[in-house]
Amino acid sequence: MPDEVEDKILLSQYAKLLSPEEKEDISRMGGDKLQKHALITRTLVRTTLARYSQERPESLKFRKNKYGKPEVEWQPRAHQVPPSLHFNLSHTSSLIACGVTIDSPVGIDVEEKQRKMRNDILSFAKRYLSSQEVEYLCALKDPEIQRQELLKLWTLKEAYVKALGRGFSGAPFKDFTIHLRAMGDLKSLNEESDIVLEASGNIAGVSSTWQFALFELANSHYAAICMEQNDNSNEVDSSGMIKLKAWKTIPYIEDECISGTDSIVKIIGSVSF
Amino acid sequence: MLGVAIPVESSGEEASGSKFVAINSGRAGFPVLRTSRFCIQCAAKPETVNKVCEIVKSQLALGPDTLVTPESKFSALGADSLDTVEIVMGLEEEFGITVEEDSSHNITTVQEAADLIDKLVEKKGVA
Repeated sequence: MPDEVEDKILLSQYAKLLSPEEKEDISRMGGDKLQKHALITRTLVRTTLARYSQERPESLKFRKNKYGKPEVEWQPRAHQVPPSLHFNLSHTSSLIACGVTIDSPVGIDVEEKQRKMRNDILSFAKRYLSSQEVEYLCALKDPEIQRQELLKLWTLKEAYVKALGRGFSGAPFKDFTIHLRAMGDLKSLNEESDIVLEASGNIAGVSSTWQFALFELANSHYAAICMEQNDNSNEVDSSGMIKLKAWKTIPYIEDECISGTDSIVKIIGSVSF
Repeated sequence: MLGVAIPVESSGEEASGSKFVAINSGRAGFPVLRTSRFCIQCAAKPETVNKVCEIVKSQLALGPDTLVTPESKFSALGADSLDTVEIVMGLEEEFGITVEEDSSHNITTVQEAADLIDKLVEKKGVA
């Protein structure tokens, strides 16, 4: 959580890990707070990936796939197969989240639970969500519940598009529906999962299945993750649930495993902590 | 940037064309003579850029110490994806246009938003 990092010496240590391009990008940010946030973000990505690979944080190289999704450019090493680590980032002003998986494309999105919409909730939903999702929201009478459910759907949809990695044109929000068991219509889809993706025909080339989970972080944020279902994956236990470990981290300072604590509370989805 | 509108008599031409010549400062800081019938420079009008800056500042609740320029990237101003889409929706309402969903997510700077808005507004006018 970026507000917890104030120490200038620590921040300058973080800066040493970054590439010249990253430092350049940061210098173009609008203001000290945003620059600090960006610095911490890049540090978190580098230190997190380093702990799951043989690389040091400062030697990781990044590139974007042809749709603009950031990925690691593993350097060739003699006698070593590059790790198939996937990662994805999401942030709000008060929280930065980095998700890492092995063998499975991943997407993550976080939003502040209390975040207010500037626009009218239903107008926004009709503009950007699928008709079934709009129906679901319209049926909720309490505007506060509507707002919460909108945020939940939004984070899940974002997580999917980011996991897919084809940019927003690869999966326009109106062209797919996230079904939550609470919506009551999952029986007709014959599904066991509590969160199901239904994509319309024009999301080209999507043949894999995706697993979702939604949870609350630090009592302040909704976090959604989406992972490609993969039979060989180590990420899934025998009942098909995503095995998730979560840490609250301040690079070099603190590393607290929060799985199983009340800092991370599952809302819905196929995940076990 | 300065915008000055000078009414110009158009002799013998259809009144559907614009009769104004706007003198704007182009990006290089040199005055650029630009008529609305021809688009010598395809940059957005300064008023559009200013309006976009206003809406962005408001959506992102930016303080007076945060500088917002045409080149400002939304993400560099702290916008997440929901902010970007909300900004676009605000712009749609302000300018009476509809932005395609792709663009809604893909607009990354103030300038891009302003350019797209002017294009869409112009299209609307012509139709």
